[in-house]
Amino acid sequence: MRLRLPFDTQIDAPSRFPTGIRQVITRPSLPGLKLALAVMTVFGLVSNVAIGVLVASGALDGEWYDFRDLGIAVGQLREGLDDRFDPAVSYIVTMLIGGIGILSLIGGLLIILPWVERRLLARFQIRRGPNRVGPFGLLQPLADAFKLMQKETIVPRGADRFIYFLPPVIVFIPLMLVWGIVPWAPRMVYVDTNVGVLYLIAVGSLATLAIFLAGWSSNNHYALLGAMRTVAMMISYEIPLSISLLAVVLMSGTMQLSGIVEWQAAHNTWFAFLMPFGLFTFFFSSTAELNRTPNDIAEAESEIVAGFHTEYSGMKAGLYLAVELGHAVATGAFVSTLFLGGWSLFGLEEWIPPYMILAGKISLIYFVLVWLRSTLPRFRLDQLMAFAWKFLIPLSIIYVLVVSLEASIFARWDVEGLIPLVIFAVVNTALAWFLIRRWAAVMGYRPGVEPTRPLMATGVGGLRAARQLRGDA
Amino acid sequence: MESLGIIAGFWILSGVTVGASLAVFAVRNLLHAVVFLILAFVGMAGLFITLSADFLAVAQLLIYAGAISVLLVFAVMLTPMANRDNANSLYMLPGGAFALAFATIVAFVAIEVDWSQLRGDALNGRNFSTTVGDVGQALLGPHVLAFEIASVLLLAALVGAIVLVHEDERAPEDRGEAA
Amino acid sequence: MTTATDPYVLNIGPQHPSTHGVFRLRVVMDGERIQDVEMIVGYLHRSMEKLAEERTFTQNIPFTDRADYLAGMSNNLGYVLAAELLSGVEVPERAQYLRVIFAELQRIASHAMSNGQLVSDAGAWQTPLLYMWREREKILDLFEMTCGARLTTNYMRIGGVAFDPPPEFYPAVNQLLEELPERIEEYHRLLIDNEIFLARTQGVGTITAEDAINGSLTGPMLRASGVPWDLRKAEPYCVYDRMEFDIPVGRHGDAYDRFMVRMEEVKQSVRIIRQALDEMPVGAHKTDIPLALRPAPGEAYARVEGPRGELGFYVVSDGGPAPYRFHVRPPSLINLSLLREMAIGASLPDAVVALGSIDIVVGEIDR
Repeated sequence: MRLRLPFDTQIDAPSRFPTGIRQVITRPSLPGLKLALAVMTVFGLVSNVAIGVLVASGALDGEWYDFRDLGIAVGQLREGLDDRFDPAVSYIVTMLIGGIGILSLIGGLLIILPWVERRLLARFQIRRGPNRVGPFGLLQPLADAFKLMQKETIVPRGADRFIYFLPPVIVFIPLMLVWGIVPWAPRMVYVDTNVGVLYLIAVGSLATLAIFLAGWSSNNHYALLGAMRTVAMMISYEIPLSISLLAVVLMSGTMQLSGIVEWQAAHNTWFAFLMPFGLFTFFFSSTAELNRTPNDIAEAESEIVAGFHTEYSGMKAGLYLAVELGHAVATGAFVSTLFLGGWSLFGLEEWIPPYMILAGKISLIYFVLVWLRSTLPRFRLDQLMAFAWKFLIPLSIIYVLVVSLEASIFARWDVEGLIPLVIFAVVNTALAWFLIRRWAAVMGYRPGVEPTRPLMATGVGGLRAARQLRGDA
Repeated sequence: MESLGIIAGFWILSGVTVGASLAVFAVRNLLHAVVFLILAFVGMAGLFITLSADFLAVAQLLIYAGAISVLLVFAVMLTPMANRDNANSLYMLPGGAFALAFATIVAFVAIEVDWSQLRGDALNGRNFSTTVGDVGQALLGPHVLAFEIASVLLLAALVGAIVLVHEDERAPEDRGEAA
Repeated sequence: MTTATDPYVLNIGPQHPSTHGVFRLRVVMDGERIQDVEMIVGYLHRSMEKLAEERTFTQNIPFTDRADYLAGMSNNLGYVLAAELLSGVEVPERAQYLRVIFAELQRIASHAMSNGQLVSDAGAWQTPLLYMWREREKILDLFEMTCGARLTTNYMRIGGVAFDPPPEFYPAVNQLLEELPERIEEYHRLLIDNEIFLARTQGVGTITAEDAINGSLTGPMLRASGVPWDLRKAEPYCVYDRMEFDIPVGRHGDAYDRFMVRMEEVKQSVRIIRQALDEMPVGAHKTDIPLALRPAPGEAYARVEGPRGELGFYVVSDGGPAPYRFHVRPPSLINLSLLREMAIGASLPDAVVALGSIDIVVGEIDR
């Protein structure tokens, strides 16, 4: 075949063009890697057997080197310091240890989590995700952070400089404070306050103000819209959130987070089984407070660009992103502590370090959050508000009444073992199912109605044909 | 109980609270004043913690720093003359008189209260571990009437809020505005 | 009690995640409710229609696929039909079939893009978009295989098509046609079984059949409003009169119906491509035409059913090698004109979904 060209030379037209232009870069296999893996496997097996023997013999229990509960070592250090110095010294030393622990936890999470989230999202979206910086792209978050730090911080004209610079700092404080009450193991709590649940709500509500100030001071309509949405949403969803927590407090009889976990461990049950609707309410309200899909209306990208942090640039924007990630993990921590038994796992916490169990549960919840984010579209603002006020709040009030009744029965009923709890779990699950169905029907939702599919026309026509089709439909 | 940490904490927190309260007066921008007021609230919460009143501290944080502050910021934002100076107030004289009266009451209480209960052996003899339980017992025991009145008041406020913002049932055209 | 708030002006775009290009909406809002919308276009104006008057008829083909860069094939086709009508060039039958095949592939690719983008606008964090792009990528691979380009294909020529597809094209396209219906069911499971998606799209941006006709809407927008109008049936070009297919028609004319109509059109396109592949004769894919084609003085208007609606090309010749006048009827500009009706009174998220359901391509609007 010849192509006619405007100049003399005639060239053979390429009958086909290269089809596989995407090259798959294969890494050379590493013989050393397999060896290292084998050595690590053997080491892991041997050390696990050694740990098992130690745990079974009871030699570990309560000693300072009992790795299953790092709080024991700190407690003994504190006692030792108390004997020799002023109480203030031991107070400050343990405070520093705990504070450094929490800060390094947050720091470590913020280094690894963006990578985890992006890789997971990429998997959900049939992509590969970051895989260029460092091994498996692990250094990508660091590279991102360095990039953000180098960027210029732009202050919009007309912004209130004093208030504009405050919120990125303020939003970080609740994130650090909220980790303080998480019980990682029986004695591994930074602040085991007896108002833990209230503290959680109080600290969580501090972020509202920061977000509002950020939106207001940016002097930008998108930011203001985002801030307004955030405030409306947070105020609405704090109510079902608090009510679902109230149910937990009523049943366990304590506001202390460690007490709640111990109650679940002692009764060999999780509040997730006992009050599934409470778990749903808490989880859903948390996603609303977190600005995560399907409730991320405060930073709805397709509508208001980035919401309250539209105008922030450089590391100030980075701080908001970091806080969002940190809060997602904190939600995981509280969902697992309050509803999934915290550090307990039906007796296995004797063998596995409890903080590892909690970390596993946190990862699970975090995975669910990423899963939701990659799957669901976003609610509209009014739909989300209606869901809180017309659905979650009435139902959770009914629910908390039932749970309080059960709590008083439980306190007076002298049956040993799990029998009352099993009955309560069955009753609550059935009640939740029934209430949700009934209430949805009352609110006008008709489940089972198939979404309409298009009509199929075989011929063309105008308005008359359209009316005819509509009449047929 | 009078450990070094508590004392240091008390002075730092008092400094923050008093400084922030003074700054509320000093700064000219209304929104900045609100921010300092919130800082004063948080400082108050800290002071409650040094008094081992952790329920009160958390409640202070929840209600004042979390909720009232947002309300204040909203109020400032919805004020038509929010750009007005902080110092530009009509109520300078009545405000000053009220502050003086309030200071007199606080000073009177501080002088009249028998502080010996909070010192030495009397203090060590008291148990501060379960403030939540005590608060709950007090609210549903001796002070149940006040508690109930507060609930009725809050319910009335809720109903009032719903009535205020309730959407007009009439068709949008009748109200003369676009749907 | 009424609380009065002042309306304010929000500029959505020209740089905004959901304006699909450089296009600006000047929105007057009261809170989150939209009171007025002004559409400001022209940020991507490249003066194509004027430039086309300086180039020969053949040289104008690449302009057309740069107008609607998501449907290059359809734009090529509309222009070459107009040029053929003007110059009276005969097109071999194999080329007619190839044109149908590639135009329908382009429709699938474009609908995948627009439906994915609509879900993204509704807030799904790009997952449905990327899944639908998987199919689009395969189609673009087919284009690349055949003509060397993915978006700006420049494939249709006056008098035929540029290249015959290579042998490996046929197994690849057959595999794609095998997969597509399953994939569409997968998207339906992900999206129309999803209450949030239904809540976000049903009843949003509703346009009645009467309004649609008055606003001279075309394409999926018109069909979603309930009017069974499709140029492939109403005024068949190429060999569409030999193809068997149905016209999907929506019931309410909302964003959801547009989504579903596009999805159903993809299925119908699969049907058409299957028939075309079966019936395609062997033979030449192109008639040779002089490089400097000089049609007799006159005018011609050819229209095709592009992915976005009626895509018309009006070409006037004065007997010279270049068109005397070149004009495009851009479907998305005319479809966009009804955004005002859809958006006023709606909230901002609804307006974004309505805009997404129009499926605009700014390159085509501004040309």
